[in-house]
Amino acid sequence: MSQLEKEFGKIYDKSVDKIYRFIYLKVNSQEIAEDLTSETFTRGWEAFQKQASKIDNPQAFLYQIARNLVTDQYRQKAQAQFVSMESVPQAQSREKSLEEIAMLTSDVGRIKAALAKVNDNYREIIVWYYLDEFTVPEIAKILNKSEEAVRVVIHRALKALRAELQ
Amino acid sequence: MIGRAYHKLVISPAYHKRWLDIGVTKYLLFRHNYNRQSISDMTDNELIHNLKCLKEIKPRKDWVVLTKSRILAQEQTREAEEMASVFSVFRYKLAFAPILSVVLVIGLFGFAQGTMPGDFFFSIKKATETVQVGFSSEMEKPKVQLQLANKRLAELSQIAESNQVGKLEPAIKEFQASLVQATQNLNDMDANVTSSDAIVLRELVEETLKLAENKERVERVLGAEVGDTQDLKNALSVLEKQTAGYLIEDLSSRTLTEEKQELLKQAMQDYDAGLYQEALYKLWQAHNNQ
Repeated sequence: MSQLEKEFGKIYDKSVDKIYRFIYLKVNSQEIAEDLTSETFTRGWEAFQKQASKIDNPQAFLYQIARNLVTDQYRQKAQAQFVSMESVPQAQSREKSLEEIAMLTSDVGRIKAALAKVNDNYREIIVWYYLDEFTVPEIAKILNKSEEAVRVVIHRALKALRAELQ
Repeated sequence: MIGRAYHKLVISPAYHKRWLDIGVTKYLLFRHNYNRQSISDMTDNELIHNLKCLKEIKPRKDWVVLTKSRILAQEQTREAEEMASVFSVFRYKLAFAPILSVVLVIGLFGFAQGTMPGDFFFSIKKATETVQVGFSSEMEKPKVQLQLANKRLAELSQIAESNQVGKLEPAIKEFQASLVQATQNLNDMDANVTSSDAIVLRELVEETLKLAENKERVERVLGAEVGDTQDLKNALSVLEKQTAGYLIEDLSSRTLTEEKQELLKQAMQDYDAGLYQEALYKLWQAHNNQ
């Protein structure tokens, strides 16, 4: 295994959970989230091999790819109706398990549903700040914004989420 | 009565579970409605706390491992393919190199088997023969060496018959050398052999007699004795003497029919008279009928 592979392996281990969660919270499907996460890392690895030295923040770089992929996914969805395996009749006719009902009706479940509905920029910042626990300066660096601006967006995002929950 | 009790026993757990399910669902629906009222009253801290529960969303562990190896392996093969396409010419060469070398070696050794003394590749043939002798048991060695001497003699006769004068001298030399080696091996056997092996000894006689016959034929073709024939004769006679000696010793230690006893007696007389070849023929007959 080359040095580059080892390095990327470490980046993968460190960020795969976060990237998956980031995508899942938007697409709300395990199948699609797995596909897009895998594609994110495939593209990331390709770029990493070509110009590893130019990528100073690999995690931010991966988020950027994931973000683009999710956007593309929705653009495609608007053009053609893709049918996920999870939404075929067989799956639909299945009665919801108790776990699912519990998840749907719990606070966490409702927050999850609301989060999928809020504006993409707000969701990103909520995920980064509250789930991934990035600091404000880190987010500012990813978004190329001032720290003050980031704080304002975090505040507005939480407000938007609360509005969705009403 | 018994039937009804049995019926109850079977049905009741399922009914029990069904009612339990309905109970849980009702409870969840109640909580759902309760939450609906309460969520707007949630403080920011409570909201953030619930938000952080979403950290529990994680990809499947096996998928994570699989995807990682797939992505990294994919690149490896892609790289390998690129390398291969650039060096495709070398790739074929490298792929065929082992096969080609094996074919060459086998071909060379095969070809060498048909060479004659004085040919360029004759040394390869000799090398394979040396290996062949090396792998033989101590008991078999003189026999194998004798077979080689016969081979040299056959080559010599072939050369003589086709009138290849230039190869005549090396061929005679090779024959002499192999004969000396055979004699030496047989002498070494003296010390090594503890119990006589009838089959090996019989084969020794066979080879020795064949050798004498072949030599006569070669000399007939050449119309003259081959090179330093006195040495050859001496070597052969030593060989014959050795073999005859073995056989006499061997047969003496056995119980023989009257006919064979007579053959042995005659052979011993020939041996004492120095007629080793005559003795060998008789001993050979006696051994053959054993």
